[in-house]
Amino acid sequence: MRNSTIKLAANAIFAMAAIVCVRSAVAQGNYEIQVYGADTVAPKTLMAELHSNFTPEGQKYYIDGVIPTNHQEHETLELTEGITSWSEIGFYVFTSEQDGHGVQWVGDHIRPRVRAPDSWHLPVGLSLSTEVGYQRAVYSPDTWTWEIRPIIDKTVGRWYFAVNPALERTLHGPDVNQGLGFSPGVKVSYDFTRVVSGGVEYYADYGRLGAFDSLHKQQQQIFVVADLNTSPKWEINVGVGVGPTASTDHLIVKGILGRRFDWRHHSPVE
Amino acid sequence: MPNSVSRPTLTRRRFTQLSGMAIGSLALSGAGRAAEAPDVMLEIGPYTLEASPKHQIRTMAYNGQIPGPLFRMREGKSQSVEIRNRTKDPEIVHWHGLYLPADIDGAMEEGTPMIAPGASTRYTMTPKPAGFRWYHTHTFAGKNLTKAQYSGLHGFLLIEPHDNAAAYDREIFLGLHDWNGQLLSSDDGYMNPVYDVATINGKMLGFGDPIKIKQGERVMMHILNSSPTEVHWISFSGHSFKVVALDGNPVDQAQTVSMLRLAPAERVSAIVEMNNPGVWVLGEVRKHVQASGMGIVIEYANSAGKPVWTQPEDLKWNYRQFAAPGDAAQHQDTKAIELNFDSRFQGHGNEELWRINGLSYPQNSTASNSPILQTGQRYRLVMKNKSMDDHPMHLHRHTFEVRRIGDSGEIAGVRKDVVLVHAGGTVEVEFVADNPGKTLFHCHQQDHMDRGFMMVFHYA
Repeated sequence: MRNSTIKLAANAIFAMAAIVCVRSAVAQGNYEIQVYGADTVAPKTLMAELHSNFTPEGQKYYIDGVIPTNHQEHETLELTEGITSWSEIGFYVFTSEQDGHGVQWVGDHIRPRVRAPDSWHLPVGLSLSTEVGYQRAVYSPDTWTWEIRPIIDKTVGRWYFAVNPALERTLHGPDVNQGLGFSPGVKVSYDFTRVVSGGVEYYADYGRLGAFDSLHKQQQQIFVVADLNTSPKWEINVGVGVGPTASTDHLIVKGILGRRFDWRHHSPVE
Repeated sequence: MPNSVSRPTLTRRRFTQLSGMAIGSLALSGAGRAAEAPDVMLEIGPYTLEASPKHQIRTMAYNGQIPGPLFRMREGKSQSVEIRNRTKDPEIVHWHGLYLPADIDGAMEEGTPMIAPGASTRYTMTPKPAGFRWYHTHTFAGKNLTKAQYSGLHGFLLIEPHDNAAAYDREIFLGLHDWNGQLLSSDDGYMNPVYDVATINGKMLGFGDPIKIKQGERVMMHILNSSPTEVHWISFSGHSFKVVALDGNPVDQAQTVSMLRLAPAERVSAIVEMNNPGVWVLGEVRKHVQASGMGIVIEYANSAGKPVWTQPEDLKWNYRQFAAPGDAAQHQDTKAIELNFDSRFQGHGNEELWRINGLSYPQNSTASNSPILQTGQRYRLVMKNKSMDDHPMHLHRHTFEVRRIGDSGEIAGVRKDVVLVHAGGTVEVEFVADNPGKTLFHCHQQDHMDRGFMMVFHYA
């Protein structure tokens, strides 16, 4: 009885390990380039964001039938609706525009997220997001992917720090057997004025968890960014990024324009 | 030296640290204490408030109760006061709304000595003017949102006039307070305190004893907002308030209103005709604040059932409704003092640094930067709020008259010691400089005064 229980447990662990530990590098996203903060959108509030990313210098050749990224313009619509004071759900529509290909729909994702409520009195902001979605094979050989992204952030005076140690997995595509990949994002910024903050964002895909790719194959991007805090209703982020490794697009320009729409009934007693 | 001022480098935090060393002259040891019992005895010590069975709040209290004991004093009759500090931190008691000398008013910025941990102080004071006053701590909290005004160190004080017509049958004292504050980013991106728990007389709605009244009674309600930072709106379902005094001072035009607004440190005295039998809720009008506990049940004799709350849909309040038309030419010799409020950005993860006329305390309170008052002179404070927050501005040791709010005409007859100046707005008040000594002027939001929003006026 005892042996069979141990065997069952061991089989379960192996099965989970098999699911988790099989993965190689996935194709670059570059549709939504953002390090998440821990806060969620307030209930009855919609955050509409347009992510505009252009690759002046990227992959110039077809690889495994995937359209090269060089001179691609990616426009991504992100709609996030607050559900409770500690949860939200986001939807993405990815598009790509490029000479010879016109405007193309790339795919859609859905992203629920929860955060630690204020009543927990944590010393840092903490939330957990999960994202699942489809993208067409001509833009990403892995058509169905899943991501889980812990989000930790902290504001100290004029400094802001955010870390997103994301884990990704391919659900359908060539990398389906490659398991869980580690794709962290980090942001450090400084409030120069009430309106202007500037800083650095770092994005990477190290490859399979426990067996990282060689540096040559890793994707690494560093962006110099500016955030404009013109109004609580608006979110503006612009940046220029470089990819120093061979597997990364070498130059990307990004911009995020967000507008918050409040559906709440604004009775003064609410 | 009458014009002596605080040293610019002496901040509130530093003053608190040094106070233990400076207290010797006033502190009395147990052996040296006068044998005669004082008229007013305050012991400051740790206390656990049970706001509800699920909300136990470890804080500080006067004489082991929250609010502290109600003191009734006769106007002009001398009172001996003894204060014992049984906490680990220096303490001080401010007698809010009284015309006291600066050395016992209860603000270290004016020169009142702090009471060191374990020490006591004793003095005599002559309470005036008559009206609903209060007493509270006046220390520094900073980022510790359990200290200073965030704690339970507040209590009611009623200075009774020589002859009180008393057009009411009984009095009820109600204290509004917020607890368990934490600094969170607000919609404007800056750090502000928010609270989990709100109480009336130390209890959340549904957990204290109901106030029992009889049909036909005329009840004088004395309501105090002792919240460290929050404005509160109060309604009494099924009833209305006839406001007769603001901050303890009779108003020119007593008005019957459906709700009250009290900024931090403000008081309202209102007569309620108990003419609607039942079991009712008196509470915060805003739903989320009442849900945090700010309410109390008022129960008529021979009535039973679930307490009834009728939710108002609007917030209504205006100081002007209690005023008489003013005459701008009434006091030709009045001198104007312009006071501009703004803040300096310190990062989205910080509270702002508050300034009066471009400087924070103590830099704004040197002889060259702060107003010098002439005894007997009438002054008009022109307060221009250029910030994005409302500010409840308090003048120590004096009463002022609200003369103008925004672009409205001149008004008179509303005498107060705290006035709320709205974001982007201007309020003008007048007072006579008739109580020489250092006089503290400050925003009564604890987080704002901790971040420099104070100024000391000096008498010539």
